[in-house]
Amino acid sequence: MEGASGAHHRDPFKSSVGRVAGQRRRQQAVTVGKERRESVVRAKRLRRADPSDHGDDGSMQLAVMGDEAAYKALEESTVNAVHNLKNLLKGSPAKRIGALQTLRHLLSCTAMPPVHVAIEAGVVTLLVDCLAFGSSEEQLFEAAWCLTNIASGDLQQTCAVEPALPLLILHLGEKSAVHVVEQCAWAIGNVAGDGEVLRDVLLKQGALHSLSRHLLSPVPSLSRTAAWALSNLIKGPSPKAAMELMKIEGMVDTLVSHVSKGEEDLVVEVAWVLVYVTSMSDFHVTLLLNAGLLPPLLGCLASSEQLSLLTPVLRTLGNIVAGDNSKTDVVLSVGQSLPGGIIGVLARCLESKHRTLQKEAAWAVSNIAAGSILQKHTVFNGGVVPPLLHLLATAVFDVRKESAYCLGNLCVAPKESREQGGIILEHLIALVDGGCLPGFIALVRSPDVEAARLGLQFLELVMRGLPNGRGPKIVEKEDGISALEELQFHENDELQTMSNTLIDRYFGEEYGLEEEYGPGMDVLRGSDDSSDYPPWRQGGGLTA
Amino acid sequence: MQYTEETVKTLSSCFLQTLAPTLEPRKQAENFLKGAADQPGYGITILRLLSDPSVDEEVRQAAAVNFKNHVKYRWVTPDPDFPPPLNPIQDPEKDQIKGLIVTLMLSTPPKIQSQLSEALSIMSQHDFPSKWQTLLPELVVSLQSATDYTIINGILQTSNSIFKRFRYQYKSNELFTDLKYCLDGFAAPLLEIFLKTGQVIAANSENLSVLKPALECQRLSCRIFYSLNFQELPEVFENHMAEWMGEFHKYLVYTNPLIQETNREKSSIIDELKAAICENINLYMEKNEEEFQGYLGQFATDVWSLLMSVSLSTSQDWLATTAIKFLTTVSKSVHHKLFSEPSTLQQISESIVIPNVMIRDEDEELFEMNYLEYIRRDVEGSDMDTRRRIACELVKGLSTHYHEQVTALFSVYLQNLIQEYAANPAQKWKEKDCALYLIVALAPRQASVGATGTDLVNIEQFFDTHIVLELQVQDVNSNALLKADALKFFTTFRSQIRKQLTLKLMPQLIGFLVAESNVVHSYAALCIEKLLALKDGKQLRYTASDLTPFLQPLLTNLFTALKLPESQENPYIMRCIMRVLSIADVGPFASQCLAELTGILVEVCKNPSNPSFNHYLFEAVAALVKKACQRDPEQVVVFENMLLPVFQNVLEQDVTEFAPYVFQIMAQLIESRRPPLPQNYIAFFPPLLTPILWQRQANVPGLVRLLQAYLQKAPQEINQGNQLPQVLGVFEKLIASKNTDYQGFFILNTVIENVSFEVLSPYMSQIWTILFSRLQYRSTGKFIKSLIIFASLFVVKHGPSKVIDTINSVQPNLFLSILDNVWSPNLSTITGEMEIKLCAVAASMLFTPLLEGSATPYCGKLLNSVITLLVKPEDERIDEEQDVPDLDEMVGYTAVYAQLHNSTKTEDDPLKDVKDPKEFLAKILGGVSLQQPGKLPSIVQGLESSNQTALAQLCSTFRISIV
Repeated sequence: MEGASGAHHRDPFKSSVGRVAGQRRRQQAVTVGKERRESVVRAKRLRRADPSDHGDDGSMQLAVMGDEAAYKALEESTVNAVHNLKNLLKGSPAKRIGALQTLRHLLSCTAMPPVHVAIEAGVVTLLVDCLAFGSSEEQLFEAAWCLTNIASGDLQQTCAVEPALPLLILHLGEKSAVHVVEQCAWAIGNVAGDGEVLRDVLLKQGALHSLSRHLLSPVPSLSRTAAWALSNLIKGPSPKAAMELMKIEGMVDTLVSHVSKGEEDLVVEVAWVLVYVTSMSDFHVTLLLNAGLLPPLLGCLASSEQLSLLTPVLRTLGNIVAGDNSKTDVVLSVGQSLPGGIIGVLARCLESKHRTLQKEAAWAVSNIAAGSILQKHTVFNGGVVPPLLHLLATAVFDVRKESAYCLGNLCVAPKESREQGGIILEHLIALVDGGCLPGFIALVRSPDVEAARLGLQFLELVMRGLPNGRGPKIVEKEDGISALEELQFHENDELQTMSNTLIDRYFGEEYGLEEEYGPGMDVLRGSDDSSDYPPWRQGGGLTA
Repeated sequence: MQYTEETVKTLSSCFLQTLAPTLEPRKQAENFLKGAADQPGYGITILRLLSDPSVDEEVRQAAAVNFKNHVKYRWVTPDPDFPPPLNPIQDPEKDQIKGLIVTLMLSTPPKIQSQLSEALSIMSQHDFPSKWQTLLPELVVSLQSATDYTIINGILQTSNSIFKRFRYQYKSNELFTDLKYCLDGFAAPLLEIFLKTGQVIAANSENLSVLKPALECQRLSCRIFYSLNFQELPEVFENHMAEWMGEFHKYLVYTNPLIQETNREKSSIIDELKAAICENINLYMEKNEEEFQGYLGQFATDVWSLLMSVSLSTSQDWLATTAIKFLTTVSKSVHHKLFSEPSTLQQISESIVIPNVMIRDEDEELFEMNYLEYIRRDVEGSDMDTRRRIACELVKGLSTHYHEQVTALFSVYLQNLIQEYAANPAQKWKEKDCALYLIVALAPRQASVGATGTDLVNIEQFFDTHIVLELQVQDVNSNALLKADALKFFTTFRSQIRKQLTLKLMPQLIGFLVAESNVVHSYAALCIEKLLALKDGKQLRYTASDLTPFLQPLLTNLFTALKLPESQENPYIMRCIMRVLSIADVGPFASQCLAELTGILVEVCKNPSNPSFNHYLFEAVAALVKKACQRDPEQVVVFENMLLPVFQNVLEQDVTEFAPYVFQIMAQLIESRRPPLPQNYIAFFPPLLTPILWQRQANVPGLVRLLQAYLQKAPQEINQGNQLPQVLGVFEKLIASKNTDYQGFFILNTVIENVSFEVLSPYMSQIWTILFSRLQYRSTGKFIKSLIIFASLFVVKHGPSKVIDTINSVQPNLFLSILDNVWSPNLSTITGEMEIKLCAVAASMLFTPLLEGSATPYCGKLLNSVITLLVKPEDERIDEEQDVPDLDEMVGYTAVYAQLHNSTKTEDDPLKDVKDPKEFLAKILGGVSLQQPGKLPSIVQGLESSNQTALAQLCSTFRISIV
């Protein structure tokens, strides 16, 4: 993954026990879960009846009644409408358009249009015919609309649209009427929303370049639709499409200028494009920053209240700070002009009641907190700690886990720094005193293996790091030992080894009575090294 | 191998013979099959054989087991670095097997089916899905077309084992790609069969033969649901959540008297289904609170009423614990408010917690019949899934948000329980047991110091009134269970109990050591042992003199306890003996103890079966040797007379488990002797060098130690016996492997220290050659450190010129090359106080000869490293990333070798007369300045600037000047 893999794999939360949770910095390219609600809504869009369309015949109202019989009737009308269109295909243009309109009404009068029956009745070939070159604008528009709604169905239904794709893409050309272009882009966007296979088909047919031209359209609704369709098209997981998009001349500036203009509806769509670009190409992050993306982007973050805007903006920001530390420095310095700095802005997002915002903000914070020692101090003193502690104690699981990454990263010194044992003691003590321990112990008990590992790593820090042997005592007091014990027979080998090692090291039986065998002998020595290298001439055994 | 009538006949008779009662034909048949399995086509042939209905059923079953094992050991992906021990199955044959196995598995009788299902699951671990794209579609098609629940359940069982890996692997793109593939292919058919079977169940409530397999189908579907939902909530399940949850609800409230189990120990299929559902909703509750929120209320009610109706029978343990776990998760979650009403808290406590904590007949039975298992559950934390423990976890869960309310409630319950007992001790003893259990279980889990306290009762007061009374009863055999509880309570809160009171109770504790109940005398031993290990700060709380007044009865009772029925190998007692012997002034009792221990040793040698008992036994012997012999070397002879015959027996009879212990204790005995060693030891030496002993990994550390002891106490004898080459042979073998190289250095270092240079010099060139070739071809950071330490020891013992000359004898000018490329650059990575001193002093000693020769240019680098080594703190010198221990290695070594802590060797400083290596360096440099003025200043100028400063400080501290 060109340029991406290295940069986004930040080395967070290193702990001497076990391996590093290293792969996390880049968000999973393969997902099985729903993208969070807000984006699900946007992945596919059905075009409902236009407000200007009122005054149509009464049959439209059927579906509103909602009962089964009505739906049956709707299905029947749809089949009839398809047959009707077939019969009129060779008829007069006006009648054909009339038939198309009837069909389009039927396919857009309810949230669950009867797409399946239309497809079975052979609607796609007919619509392909209607898209033929030389057809009237009106006809093209109606046909594209029908296709848009057919492509808003499930995967199988979307696939049925495939024969129409070349024509839909062709009609994106400069000579087409604006409303036709927009409708074709819409249909294509829906198709692109349905997985990598169809995206590849579209890309091969040149959809990307045709769509991107309309990003600069003076018609707001068209540039919006184009941006939305593009964001679907470059989703990946392969970064190829995003790369191709960014290679188009002037693309960087186009995207930045859209964000700068601050027209919220457009920024939402452009920000989703940025989400995918920044998650896949570190190189283009640099170009975007150089072109001045940050000031308007952070400005949106500070001034908007709109969830649909904040979500992609936050995620873009999170991707940017997942790069090298110099980018994070730029973010922090540009953010200084905002009230409370960028960290203050993120703190407010953490305090939001929306789970999506909490999670996205925590993700961004955890990336900044994985940076240099100075960045860690800035985060720590920037006001995020109280909301993070609150979230760790009370939020839903995935937010708790994300907050835990932030707090953990705040306590681990970067490799190059000189902190004792790799721990930023001042932060660790403050967090423990702030009551974070029960939250981490709850994670140890979580069925989620990453969360459990995170919890274990933090307990290790606490037990090794807190002065005067306070660590093991406080872990014990919070009933951490029984949490550790629960992992001793875990099916995941690493968790099993980590928990056993921690129990042995900090709570082991004082087996021999001599001081040298007491627990915690290597507490200050950075633990692992000592078990690795036996002192010379030691009697027969390995250091226990 | 071809599938012919001939092979069928041969193989069939072979499989029959593998079932033969007599050894010889069985062995023969097994060997034949082993040989045949190496031939290509064996797997497919066996597969045909076991599916051939004309073949005898018994033969087919044996063949199925054989096939599964064949797959287990030979279905491997070839790895050029680790060639498999057995010929792997080749790809074309693998493809053939993959093509057949699903159909075969679904058409064979259950006993064969289960073997094939396992084999399939092993195959899938290697190949699924990327190298076995047909599997999932094939399973799905079969599932969709099947109507027979034997077949459906076969498919589900197999799918279940294939999908289990999603339950414990870390997230990665690879895992998620596989998971997505499985979800895309299987989620929809799974829901389909789940819903369809739901209808079957609804329609057949009177028909047991349909109902049972249908419910089993639902259970399996639930387990698959669990695997597929484990990593995160998949979109397809989120979209169909209402359907799944609706069905789950239906089964949680499903009752049908027809399907109750008649066997009271066995859980019924409907209970197993309900438990599986509880696990699923618990998973959703843990990870997907928000999406699950809408269903929570209903499920909380369902589970609640389920728990109200669950019986206390063991057959419903699993259901009860999973159900309680669900409530626990809710109580700790954002939705804890469901339980916020005082009346709810009260009801949960009274109707769910207390009844499940109450001791049951089954527990009592365990107490009497299987004391080790009882103890394991009661005090060693393997009660993770018992009702008692899980009920207490629920209390802890409720305390997360309602600490005060819960504490107040339970304080009252405890009072009530104790009062009920007090009013009628004979009838209500279970109430006291319940109270004691609750107090201990609700205290935070203890570390080695014991629990620090609890909010529920005042520990001291409670101990005084309710525990002391129990312990002071005359008859140690009355009310055994409550005695055990009291002893457990004492052990748990031991650090809170005043020393004076504890000592006052010591005679009682000693008395319980000979109680009839195995649990009671084990707990008494455990209690004493833990008390003796108790520390205040760094001091033991109970000292030898505290123990002296009780020593005789204590030892007597401990050894008597080992004669009680079923306690002959009681590890708790032996551990206590070990502890007492390592603390107490055993003086007058030493020989008596030795006799007892030797007697036990002779017994266990006959059939070593209890590793932990045996370990403590050897620890006890080691402790005794340490106490008695190291104080009074005359005692050694007494010990030798008793122990050596037994040890000899261990080695002669090849009791492999004990050999590592024997080597350690022998070393300990030799170390406590003054030279010369008596002849019987000398005679023992040659056999120790036989390669077979060294081939066993577990022997090596003990043998190395023993060899070191010989080298220290009898270097002349070894030399006269001409055994030095063999010793060096051992060194050479150990040095060759990364895992044992440091052991090789232990030997080499001891040789260097104890053998004169004259004796050594013929071998030195060869030793260096061995070391340097290892350095050249397979070096590690650890190896280089050990090498520097060895060379330093050589310098210190025999002088720098000997080192330089012997290295150069391998190859002219080799020394300077080693110095410049290995020694100087890595010197600053040395750790450990004694090691740092040794290496710094040795390096300092090199300066004079180096400057005298014309090697001045090499001095700068060396001096820089010495100063870094001496002045910089360890974590600044050492790169953290170097030699990160491999986790796999860490997992591996634990089981190999059991070190005896009571027999540890004390380290000896080879440089006792050098107090401060910094001063030593300064003096050397001062000397050089006097003898060869002008040479040092230019060297000093080339140092790192921080080291120049450090050197200037050293010079002023020790008042020398560099000119």
